[in-house]
Amino acid sequence: MELPSDPADLQLLLHALVDGELDAATTLALERRLVEDPALAAEHARIAALQTAVRNLPRPDVSDAFQARIAALGVAPQAAARPASAHSAWLGWRAMAASILVTAVLTSGLTQWAMTRNAPDSFAAAVASSHRRSLLAASPVDVASSDRHTVKPWLDARIGLSPAAPDLAKDGFSLLGGRVEVIADKPVPALVYKHREHLITLVAAPQDGRTASIPAGAERAAGGFSLIRWADGAFTYWAISDTDRATLEDFVNRFREAAAAG
Amino acid sequence: MPGEADDVAVLTGKTSAERFSEVVLPHLSDALALARWLTGNADDAEDVVQEACLKAYKGLATYAGGNARAWLLTIVRNASYAWLARNHPRRIVAVGDLADLDALAADADTDAGTPEAALIAKADAAALETAITLLPHPFREVLVLRDVNGLGYREIATMLHVPLGTVMSRLSRARALLAAQLGGSR
Repeated sequence: MELPSDPADLQLLLHALVDGELDAATTLALERRLVEDPALAAEHARIAALQTAVRNLPRPDVSDAFQARIAALGVAPQAAARPASAHSAWLGWRAMAASILVTAVLTSGLTQWAMTRNAPDSFAAAVASSHRRSLLAASPVDVASSDRHTVKPWLDARIGLSPAAPDLAKDGFSLLGGRVEVIADKPVPALVYKHREHLITLVAAPQDGRTASIPAGAERAAGGFSLIRWADGAFTYWAISDTDRATLEDFVNRFREAAAAG
Repeated sequence: MPGEADDVAVLTGKTSAERFSEVVLPHLSDALALARWLTGNADDAEDVVQEACLKAYKGLATYAGGNARAWLLTIVRNASYAWLARNHPRRIVAVGDLADLDALAADADTDAGTPEAALIAKADAAALETAITLLPHPFREVLVLRDVNGLGYREIATMLHVPLGTVMSRLSRARALLAAQLGGSR
């Protein structure tokens, strides 16, 4: 069993050893190396000590009251619509009062607050929160490729449908890849494009036949992002981004042209 | 939505309440621990977990069996970030630019103040808690999922939708940052 010569890779193996993630052969080889190499052994001891210390941190108690409250969700979930506790009810009231006070200067913040409070189930809000989540996630895509011949089959294989996925790199919008979003309880394909430092998420929900075509421009702001919605052929599209509206409109036009050209 | 959970109940011969108590209730402690570290506060963690459990109840139909704990923790993680985005957007370290994070971690790696194992073992819980709270979220969540929740590398990779190698390098960096922090607080 050859151990990697790169110190960074060896470091990763040390962590994997402490975490019990190595196979027997690699474990054996690494343990032999530890005997010969005191510096590596010290690092190993350090990792193990750190892990023990983190494991021994006090865990939050599951109080009887909390356990009962959660158990009650399984029986009468609508009861949970009320605030979780006096503590959070007070916080909610305080947040509301604060929002009212700063309306004049923080209109967009208030809009976002109102949207997330009042319309959590609307499709636009769901698209916005999925976009926000993707900005937080380690990778905004599940399949990373600028090649539509990779992205389309990947989506097809997972959920049996895939929108056109043209690479618009020559127009300044490069295709990063795709992922599957679950919106309104249905898996839908999402494409991710990058324009300068901004990500654009394009969610494509299959049309159910009732709406033939919605012109582009049925847009609004959702969760502080720009959002443009339109329908072409089999899909209703939602393009969302933190970039400015003009750029997003430009993207939508170019996407529609490229998709129509096939 | 309760209707959907009931549909599943018909298939499995169990009420959704029974399924909920089998799938969700055994993992409340893990759920609270994860939410506590991601939100940074034990009181908020209860609210977040309650919200997550309600989502879990509504989404019981999407739970296809398998690792119930990892399934619930995924929901708790999403609820934690949604809660942070709503209440403390500035606390979130976005992963918009991973290069920044790499630079940050590289600084810690070269920090000369890395303490010996014995010193780490003696570090008091408060210092360690502070050090964990200072970790950027992408590192913190991997550390907590591994060392507090006890998930395996593969489970974490599946949950975060990142390659196994990313989980390993983030965990390594998270621990390097922690060790450096403990060394600096001597």
